[in-house]
Amino acid sequence: MVQEEDLELYRSQLLDLRSERPSRSVRGLLDPIQVYVNERRVGELKGAEIEATLHVHGVDHIETVQLRTEDGRLLGGLVAPESGFRTARVQFSADTVELCVQNTMQGGSLSAVFIPASSFWNRTWTILADVADRWMVRRPASTMAYGIRTVAFTQVLLATAVIGLVADRVMIWIAPEHIVAPTAQAEALRTASIAEVEQLAKQLRELRLMQTKVGDALQSQEKGMTLLNQTMARLSSTQESVASSVVMVKEEIEKRQESTERETDRPVQLPVGRGVVDQEQFETAIHGLAADNERLSKQIAGLEEHNRTLTAKLQMAIAHVAKAVEQNPERVVAREADVARKHQLVPVADSRQNTQAQPFLFWVTFSEGTTQESIDQWVNGMKGHKGSLNEGWQEVQIIPPPVPPDLFLEQIKGDKIIKEARLNH
Amino acid sequence: MATMQNTLRKSHIIADRTATVSRLEEVVATSDEFDQVVAQALPILLDRAAGYTKRFLRETGQWNDDIEHEKFALRWGSEYLERFLVCGRTEVPCRPLFLFDSLVAKQHSKPEPFCYHPDLLKPLGRFLDGLVARAVVSRDALIALYHHSYGWDAGDVIAVTGLNGLESQRIYKNFRRWRESGWQRTMDEMGLTKAELVELESQRQRQRQRFNSEAERLIRVAQGHYRKSEPDHYPCLSRSQWGEMFSQGYGCDYRIWHLALCLDCMQTAWGLGSSESSAEKPRLELQVRP
Repeated sequence: MVQEEDLELYRSQLLDLRSERPSRSVRGLLDPIQVYVNERRVGELKGAEIEATLHVHGVDHIETVQLRTEDGRLLGGLVAPESGFRTARVQFSADTVELCVQNTMQGGSLSAVFIPASSFWNRTWTILADVADRWMVRRPASTMAYGIRTVAFTQVLLATAVIGLVADRVMIWIAPEHIVAPTAQAEALRTASIAEVEQLAKQLRELRLMQTKVGDALQSQEKGMTLLNQTMARLSSTQESVASSVVMVKEEIEKRQESTERETDRPVQLPVGRGVVDQEQFETAIHGLAADNERLSKQIAGLEEHNRTLTAKLQMAIAHVAKAVEQNPERVVAREADVARKHQLVPVADSRQNTQAQPFLFWVTFSEGTTQESIDQWVNGMKGHKGSLNEGWQEVQIIPPPVPPDLFLEQIKGDKIIKEARLNH
Repeated sequence: MATMQNTLRKSHIIADRTATVSRLEEVVATSDEFDQVVAQALPILLDRAAGYTKRFLRETGQWNDDIEHEKFALRWGSEYLERFLVCGRTEVPCRPLFLFDSLVAKQHSKPEPFCYHPDLLKPLGRFLDGLVARAVVSRDALIALYHHSYGWDAGDVIAVTGLNGLESQRIYKNFRRWRESGWQRTMDEMGLTKAELVELESQRQRQRQRFNSEAERLIRVAQGHYRKSEPDHYPCLSRSQWGEMFSQGYGCDYRIWHLALCLDCMQTAWGLGSSESSAEKPRLELQVRP
């Protein structure tokens, strides 16, 4: 009986522990977040007020990813797919960790990015920017940049002027004893040095200049508004013409349907058997073609996958050979553990050597009008090869660059055909 | 009359359980819906996972009908439930009950899904198992393991592992958090009652040598199992290799993680992190309290 009570107490204790919301568990502001892959610790994200990233590449497939606090509480995680991508945003307090897992034939990779909560001013600025974006998104591209610049400049000038005026008022209210009588002011002017007078004149000139700039900015804004109105008018006329086109198309479709019905009524008089046979033959042919097509697609996909695997293996082998040539006495311990390392996940942040062995993956989008030939030339120039294509983003695998990933991405963004580049899709 | 009321209450409970299980079998489309449905079914899911664990132990010839085994099954059921609560919400849309079953089945299909040893089910074994298991997922518990194994404070840990200034501050923080909440949480998760802890403390004082030698035997079993959960590239090293690591100042994580979870390597690397190389090598001196 006592044992049963003990067991029941234990059960309710466990239920209480599990009822606690993990996302609300207490985490110190600067405490790192422990990252576990397949229930093994692979590294940590420094949870300070700055963005931090952890990349993990491994030969093994990734099954689970878990984020834990220093005291072991589970903050969040995800179950990785058998193959392909999965992303998740884990939010705790106001901070966020973005997880991106990819499993391929070569193994699994994880990218974890810690995004700290933004400050009050950052949030305010973001909200303002969002509002501005939403407003600007309706404007044509040519006027957009112009408008943003105008609004920003005007806001800065107005804010400066308002702050100056307020400060001036406040100073007067705080220190009324410093207000000098008109007679004293006249006296002071008489006794003021030429340098002081010149300084005052200079300040007045600056003020006038600022006033002119404000006037210019307001005029530009007015012009921007006029342009916006014109664009809106053009847009509404375009909308009307589109609507009328839609009506025309509908009418056309209806007419065709009617004519088709009339035509289908006619062959009824013809021998039915021949039509049915023809239709069956057509259907069979179409099915056959579809099946062949599918089979061919599968074969092509398989060959491409195989090709990618072979290329990656070749690159890894080249990298290994290059490494083997190096005689670095600092890596004696690491070399001895090489055999074990082949079967494990290695945090890239902890081991540069391993990072070199893995192909470097990144995603790019190309500028509009870029031909496939130019893309292939560019990829060949990088001594890399193309991976999968997802929503316009092309995966590219290359031998790890000698510069840090961020710098490398900035460098390739300078290429004419590259529109955007990033580490994760 | 009382019997009738009891029967009615039981039938209500059964009806509620059936309704909850049916809800768990339906598709949930969003993470919030998942949280909501699962939060109402925690007791059912815990019992279900404990039931699966019991069956696994029975099938592998490791089950006994006693409270220790029941607690063991509940503890692992609770572990699975924790993982399910966090990871399951990223699997939507899904049927929570089936997802939960698959998660438990996946765990049980791994080699040695948990650290089972009959002696680890007794209070001393549970205490040690709880400490080492927690050390794998909590840095606070990992650092506290130095205190529980050798009676060291934060300063000793810093000296022995040869840490620098920045890491040192973290060690003090780990110790503080462990004392404040970590230790109690671990004891609760292991189902150690106050009476059992008092008894352990009393044994430690009365039969110090016997207590410590028994603890050393059991902690080796637990460490051997849980060390597999630390990164594989942290294997045992020779003294010269440890020496190189200490003198060149790299592998902070390696030192902290491995030395806490390996009695033998602690002996091997003793004295490399501080000037106490002449001092006697440390032996297990189990501390019950944080």
